[in-house]
This record gives sequence, C-alpha cells and structure tokens, in this order.
Amino acid sequence: MFLLPWLAGFFLLTLGPTLASLVLSFTNFDLIQAPRWVGTANYERIATADAKFWRSMWVTFLYVIMSVPLKLAFALGVAMMLNRGIQGLPLYRALFYLPSLLGASVAIAVLWRKLFAGDGLLNQFLAMFGFEGPSWVSNPDYALYTLVVLSIWQFGSPMIIFLAGLRQIPQDMYEAASLDGASPLRQFVKITLPLLTPVIFFNAIVQTIDAFKAFTPAFIISEGTGGPVDSTLFYTLYLYQEAFGYLRMGYASALAWVLVVIVAVFTAFSFLTSRYWVHYDD
Amino acid sequence: MTTDAIPRGGRRRSTGSSLAVHAALCFASLVMLYPLLWMLASSFKDEAEIFAHGVSIFPTSWTLDAYRRGWEGLTVTFDVFFWNSAVISILSVIGNVVSCSLAAYAFARLQFKGRNFWFALMLGTLMLPYHATLIPQYVLFLHLDWVNTILPLVVPKFMAVDAFFIFLMVQFFRGIPRELDEAAKMDGCGPWRIYWKIMLPLSLPVMATAAIFSFIWTWDEFFAPLIYLNDMGSYTVQLGLRAFVDSSGKSDFGALFAMSVLTLVPVFVFFIFFQRLLIEGIATTGMKR
Repeated sequence: MFLLPWLAGFFLLTLGPTLASLVLSFTNFDLIQAPRWVGTANYERIATADAKFWRSMWVTFLYVIMSVPLKLAFALGVAMMLNRGIQGLPLYRALFYLPSLLGASVAIAVLWRKLFAGDGLLNQFLAMFGFEGPSWVSNPDYALYTLVVLSIWQFGSPMIIFLAGLRQIPQDMYEAASLDGASPLRQFVKITLPLLTPVIFFNAIVQTIDAFKAFTPAFIISEGTGGPVDSTLFYTLYLYQEAFGYLRMGYASALAWVLVVIVAVFTAFSFLTSRYWVHYDD
Repeated sequence: MTTDAIPRGGRRRSTGSSLAVHAALCFASLVMLYPLLWMLASSFKDEAEIFAHGVSIFPTSWTLDAYRRGWEGLTVTFDVFFWNSAVISILSVIGNVVSCSLAAYAFARLQFKGRNFWFALMLGTLMLPYHATLIPQYVLFLHLDWVNTILPLVVPKFMAVDAFFIFLMVQFFRGIPRELDEAAKMDGCGPWRIYWKIMLPLSLPVMATAAIFSFIWTWDEFFAPLIYLNDMGSYTVQLGLRAFVDSSGKSDFGALFAMSVLTLVPVFVFFIFFQRLLIEGIATTGMKR
C-alpha cells in the first residue's frame, strides 16, 4: 500500500520507458508515423558516420576531465582552510555555498554570458589594466572554458561534504605525526588524503555523472546551438537537438543508450578500481 | 551531527597565520560573489551608467526602471511566469513529500516480500541518467494530451520518481527508535497511524529539507519545461527568462539583469532562512547540489 505510488512510478515512468527507449533505438521514429524497425542502423551511424556525435563526445569529455578535478581540488582546498578552527566558519561556508545553490538556474547562465561577453565584466576589468580581451563566449577557443569556470564556481556542495569528512579524522593522528617530525605536506599526503578517500570517491562519482548530464548553461550561452562552431555542444544538447529539433526520436534513443552505457561502464569501473585506492575503516 | 560547533578535527593556529587565512578567505568570497553583486547593482543602474561605470557594484543613482521594462518586456508579463512556476513548484513539493515519505516508510519499517530487492532497484534508479526515459515519457505524455499542461511536470512527483528524497528519508527513519512503533503497535495502532502519528511528526526536519530542495530544484528546472511547455502563457520563469534573452535582452542589459535577479529571489530567500538545514542535509546525505 505505502509503496504503491513508487511502484506505479517505477513501472510507468522508469522501467517501462527505459525498455521502450531501448526498443525505439532500433527504429526510425518521427512521432507522426509509427516507428519503423531499422535494426542496428542507428548505432552504425553513430559509430561510423556521425561527426557531430564524436564532436559532442569530445566536448563533454573535455568538460568532465577539466571541471571535475579542478572543482574537487578547490572544494578540498577551501574545506581544509575552513577546518582550521577559524572564526566565522558558518558565514564563510554559507557564502561559498551560495553559488552552488543558485548555479543551476537560467539567471546564472545569463549572468555568465554577460560576464564573458566582448563588453562584459571581465573585459571591462582587463581594460582597466590596459588589456583588450576577446569575446570569450563567442570564441570557439574559449567558450568551453567559460563553462568550466562556471562549474568550478559551484564548488560549494562538494566542499561541505569534504568539511564533514575532515571532521571525522581524529586529531591525535596529526599530533602524533607532528611529534615524529612530519611536515604539513607529508601529513596531508599520509593522513588527510588516505582517510578522505571515501569522500573523494563519492564526490568524484556524483560530480562526474552530473557533468555528463550538463545542459542549461551550454544551452543558454550558445542560444541552443552548441556553438560557436560546436565548441559547447554538450552531449545532452546534441541529444535534445536530434530529438526535439529534428524529431529523430529513434536516433536520439540510440544516443541516450550510448550515454547510459558510458555512465554504467564508468560507474562500474570506478567501483571495481575503488578497492585499490579507497580506504575504508575495517 | 551538528555542523556549527567548533570542529572537533579543527586545528588551532597562531594568530598570524589565522589572519592570513581570513584574508585569503575574504578575498576568495569577494571574487566569487562579485559577479552576483555586479548583476544586482547593474539591475538598479540606468542605461547610461551601465556603460559609463560598468565594473562598479555601487550605482550612483538607483532606479527601478529596468524592472519596469523587463516585467513587460515580452507579450506575456512576468507575473504569469511567476504564477506558473509557483504552482508547479508547490505541487511538486507536496507530491515529493507525500509519495517519497510513504515509500520511505515502507522501505524503513514494513516487512514485505522482496524488500531488499525493491530497495536495491530504487537505489539503482538514482544512477540512471534521465536520458534513458526521456523520449518514451514524452511520447506517453503526448498521447495523453498532456503537452502544454503542467501535468508532465507535476504528476511524476506524486509517483516518487525522485529517489534521492526516498533515500534521504529512509536514512532518517532508520534513526527513529523502533521501540516507539512497537509500543504503538501494542496499543493497537495500524501502520497508517504509526506513519501519521509517530514517523511524520518525528521527522519534520528531514521533511523540511526535502521540501526545500524539492522547491528549489523544481523552480530551477529548465529541461523538462523546455520540452513540455510550448505556449508562452504556460511558461515558467526559467523559460520566460530564456525567451527574454532571445528577444530584447540582447540590447537591454539592465532589464535582463533585473528579471534574472527576480527569478533568483525565491531561492535566495530559502537560502537566508534555511541555510543551516540545507547545509546539514548536504553534509549528512551527500546530495548533489
């Protein structure tokens, strides 16, 4: 009884559609005519004849590989500064968390577009020192980096999780290490990092899956095109264009399943390798 | 775990190095928050000042003109968008809290066949990218004639599709002493009464956390409304803002910022009043945002 709403949702909105999209991925379907079975043609086209697919894969991969490690590094660095028993911890923590909370909205993507526009805040600032910056968002060499910066700017929530993890590390370990003459760097490498690996692992998985799914900022900054010159064509954006721009629902389903498999492989791989580097208390 | 006490693991440093840490943290906060302050300030500047003193966050003269221009900048005014967003968000909060707490109660307390199996499946849906269900769901709602209504955005919330909240509540329910429900059972209470009279009243903090996150995430949602709402009269604030960017927003910087600021206000209000609840929610469950 209590489980009924969830069970209904699970079968009608999760399991059913998941299987249906797997079937649709082997068809051509434009919403108007009935789906037409095409076998593995969609997947063959993805693998061999679709330059935009590879482009969007590459863009998404670059975004993940740049934004996730930097975001986690910032989060950990700031968390360690906050964990020194300083005054005003709640205030700092709240200030650093604010961008994470606001960051998913269209308003922030709009702000970002104006920050990095040709006449935006950054260039006006650079101009005070006599530099003339390009229009970052409309330059294919830089547009993706503005999105990476946006992602790093939202380091607040992994920071809070790191902070909670740092508090679990017993203080006397550091004291013992200090007595043995271990330098702060050595303490960080030998105590903090190993004991924090479960939290790092968790944050890395969550942030990576989130980064794979990113959509709104790229959509707003490029006005839905993924431009300039496909430099911000995130995978989800490409899937959106195929499905709702060109109504290629079958092909888009195949794209969705490629993403599902990539995320599944990544997650499985992380869990399998985690036993070699993640330290759990026994 | 209270997050506001002086940290157990915190290390005391000399005053000198602690001053340096404060300086670094203040500088970092300023750099991070400057864009937000800049947006806020620009929304109160007049056209001329935006170009003359672009970098400043202190307008020399304050005007609400940009807000007036922005509010009526589209064929549909922003009050419609705010109303639509509010309706969708509030219904989503109700749906999430009701359906997820029911499911969480079942997983945390009731004995039924295959409980562990269903629980594992539920956790599995956390990992499933929404892309997998996107297109068939769209086809389903299209055939139900729900496109251009709020139903595709709200009805799923009543079916506990946000497994994050179930997980959050299960964690909390497990912390409530079992003796309480045992005692109630002795007194002849059925599961509904236990759920209603014991579990819910004891778990108000976690319900509040789920409600607030649910509101903020729905308020900020862009992808689903983008697909399902095509008629400007049914737009949410996020879609309205996007439409504004594409029309006059390119030239009218001030009005665009004014409307952007307004769409952030509800989230910011929640942040001011409930930030401790939000931060604890993240720290204890590791929720994503």
